Amino acid sequence: MRIGVFVCQCGTNIAGTVDTQEVARRAGNLPDVAYATSYMYTCSEPGQQEIQRAIREKNLQGVVVAACSPRMHEPTFRRAVERAGLNRFMFEMANIREHVSWINNDREANTRKAAELVEMAVAKLRFNQPLFSSQISVNKRVMVIGGGVAGIQAALDCSDGGLDVVLVERKSSIGGKMAQLDKTFPTVDCSSCILGPKMVDVVQKDNITLHAASEVESISGYVGNFTVEVRKKATYVDWTACTGCGACIEKCPSRKVPDVFNENLANARAINIPFPQAIPKKATINRDYCLHFTKGKCGTCQKVCPTGAVNYEMQDEIVTEQVGAIIVATGYDLFDASVYGEYGGGRYADVISGIQYERILSASGPFGGHIKRPSDGKEPKDIVFIACVGSRDASVGRPYCSGVCCMYIAKQAILTRDHLPDTRVWVFYMDIRAPGKNYDEFVRRAQEEYGVQYIRGRVGKVYPKGDRMVVQGNDTLLGVQVEVEADLVVLATGIEASAGARELAEKLRISYDQYGFYMESHPKLRPVETNTAGVYLAGVCQGPKDIPSSVAMGSAAAAKVQALFSRDTIETNPQVALVNERVCISCGKCIQVCPFGAIQWKELRGGIRKAEVLPSVCQGCGLCNATCPPKAIQLQHATDNQILAEVNALCA
Amino acid sequence: MFENATKQLRETVEAALPELNTVVGWRAGYDPLHMTPVFIKNAGDLSKLEWSPFCVQNLSGYLVKDPAVRAQDPSKKIGICVKGCDSRSLVALIQEKFIERNQIHVFGIPCRGTVDWRRVMKLGPLTGIQSARVEESRLVVEDANGGHTFALEDVLARKCLRCAHPNPVIHDVLIGEPVTPRVAVENSYGEVERMEEQSLEDRLGFWKKELDKCLRCYACRNACPLCVCQDRCIAETREPRWLTQRVGTSEKFLFHFIHALHLAGRCTECGECERACPMEIPVTLIKEKLNKITLELMSYEAGMDPEAVPPLLTFNPGETGL
Repeated sequence: MRIGVFVCQCGTNIAGTVDTQEVARRAGNLPDVAYATSYMYTCSEPGQQEIQRAIREKNLQGVVVAACSPRMHEPTFRRAVERAGLNRFMFEMANIREHVSWINNDREANTRKAAELVEMAVAKLRFNQPLFSSQISVNKRVMVIGGGVAGIQAALDCSDGGLDVVLVERKSSIGGKMAQLDKTFPTVDCSSCILGPKMVDVVQKDNITLHAASEVESISGYVGNFTVEVRKKATYVDWTACTGCGACIEKCPSRKVPDVFNENLANARAINIPFPQAIPKKATINRDYCLHFTKGKCGTCQKVCPTGAVNYEMQDEIVTEQVGAIIVATGYDLFDASVYGEYGGGRYADVISGIQYERILSASGPFGGHIKRPSDGKEPKDIVFIACVGSRDASVGRPYCSGVCCMYIAKQAILTRDHLPDTRVWVFYMDIRAPGKNYDEFVRRAQEEYGVQYIRGRVGKVYPKGDRMVVQGNDTLLGVQVEVEADLVVLATGIEASAGARELAEKLRISYDQYGFYMESHPKLRPVETNTAGVYLAGVCQGPKDIPSSVAMGSAAAAKVQALFSRDTIETNPQVALVNERVCISCGKCIQVCPFGAIQWKELRGGIRKAEVLPSVCQGCGLCNATCPPKAIQLQHATDNQILAEVNALCA
Repeated sequence: MFENATKQLRETVEAALPELNTVVGWRAGYDPLHMTPVFIKNAGDLSKLEWSPFCVQNLSGYLVKDPAVRAQDPSKKIGICVKGCDSRSLVALIQEKFIERNQIHVFGIPCRGTVDWRRVMKLGPLTGIQSARVEESRLVVEDANGGHTFALEDVLARKCLRCAHPNPVIHDVLIGEPVTPRVAVENSYGEVERMEEQSLEDRLGFWKKELDKCLRCYACRNACPLCVCQDRCIAETREPRWLTQRVGTSEKFLFHFIHALHLAGRCTECGECERACPMEIPVTLIKEKLNKITLELMSYEAGMDPEAVPPLLTFNPGETGL
């Protein structure tokens, strides 16, 4: 093989601490290397032309570029060598920037390491084979998992683009956390007034199929051709018959059911529609509280239902949906404030979470929009907000900023002063984080126009005194201890990954960070893609963010899906496993370990069975190769011999 | 004391023989300390069949490796005689679908331990052995120089002294009464623990010294009932080229660790590799270490439940313990 080696200087990024001339000189002595040079910016247009010129003039059969991480520019160089007539897999990249020049200043050691990485790349390239893609068709339907504002926006945008959309929502209504909010910052417009129309749009679009009260059971397939099994949970009400009239709810005798939508500040019935604007507006029976299920003797709802929709025998149902892409918008949960025992969240009735206060403020909330405290229904005269409860605190495993609490406290403080102008409001905060458009002005308005007392410092303890609460903290700006007596304490609970986020990630084969937020493909340049082709992210499932960002991300994910679906076929990646049938001992271990179901039996003449890889399903993870005892199954472009050649080059 | 067991084994096999292709068992070998496999096809051969503490061989490998055993009338089962340890190899082969449970008829024999003839020879150089028998806790051997008596503990195979499963875990008929295990499996890794206590240098030194003796004859691999690749073994292929013919400890190391890793979570510690090794390298010890890890991390013991899936032969995203 005639190999060309191009050592990139990346300006001074590499050349600053690596002698690239010397790396090129040493590469020139390696077996099969016919040409080696160093270049200022190999990825630039002239740099690529230099590679193409060398391929033609030196009759090169393979190319090594020693430069940056292959993550970004491997596709660039593969296209470059392809334009010069080589197969794109006759190319190898050695990462001498992130792995060498950026992490060490010792020029001599760096040069040696870079030369060794080049030697590995050359050794591997000598075993490379041309590989070819094939085309697979794309099913132009998209699934959106999660019906909060991000998922709704993604579904509507896809629908507007003419795509068939399947929207799956775990709860019985779409709307997500935004539906629970009273007003939204920084404009203080009514949350359900701006979200409601979008929710209605979802059911009015002919090309959106909504599965509410449903969860994703399993996912198989690959980009362009996913098969998703959706578990439609038994609601014990036939939703095709239910009109949402509410007669059943009125008559239901089980009246002490925690109202989850109202954050347990009120009671609901065992048969319930979570809120008046619910989409779909259909009743659901809560088995845990329904007397028919718990005591076996009630059937009131069935009797009063004018359409006969109640069906106690209903079972979960599995529906199978075929889609070409998946947008994940599974949202978040809120931190459990009771973790901070010293604040008394969950222990004292008048220490509540931010989302509970949101429900108190809401006109459709437990107190009809009148601010009352949960313990005795009195109007509070003094309210304390405590920021960063479950945010920016490594001791509770939440070192990150939730991004929205500073803003929602300011909003709730302003609304409090609007509702009850005589009420005094304090906010204990660590820092004010208000970096959005009109955000800082909004917080200033709370402080300056609404007279909210902002105290910079942490609260040490909250304890009851008579029928009031005492908040003990310090004011770090004045350097004094502060004690505030309050009728109501609101803990600004932070954002955490949604319950079940990790399990769903395993099904989707996407990665998540240590807190359970889904990992985007690149933190800056591929923020809505995942590392699994055809799976995109929207909203807080990727990390804390506010409503505008979630909506923008929903639209961005929809745009990505539109781009994917603008083609009729997708090129497959030929870097997949391949079975050498002569070596296969038919033990079937590869079939057993394949996480993607990509390997099956193939029957040869005489009933002999051999393993066979479905290249379009294979993700190239290599588990089969690691498991195969005689190594009959090899991952193309990362074969045992290629890896051994690299190891031998390094260890020789 | 083993005459009765042999008699019972012959009678049981005779009763089942019309329904079976072949019965794989043991017969007398070239001297009284050695037995050798026998393939019983008709009642006339039954008198060859024997059972004694000298029946060291694990016969289950014949079911997958011997083409003559495999290529028989598929409507009839194959009979096989197993000790406790051997039966676990059968379970592992059933788990991995190399054999089907309903294809085999298992004559299970509870075992109090087998005699390692090398240990006998080391204790007393014997010539012209005329007879050997185990009586209670003693081994009595007569050779050209007269009678010799050995304590059984001194001549049992290493694997037998740490045996946690003396009774066959699967069987169609049981010959004799079940035996109480010597140790619980949790306590059976004393030798590995003693190795673990040594420093890294000492352990490396130990294995360098031991594995340097290796001839790469592959007897350990050939004796292993679970080494099923046979002539596709990567020790001898060039595609992929994991091993070369180069002489040196590194190639020997690589071979033994490939062998051990291929058996991780599968090896039933039958000890055939170690018994077959002409250089007396304690190669089973490497697999014992891997099994100890498997037991500790995944609470899994190979070859116990035909329905279980060995932990390294599955993909479970919710894997605990690791």
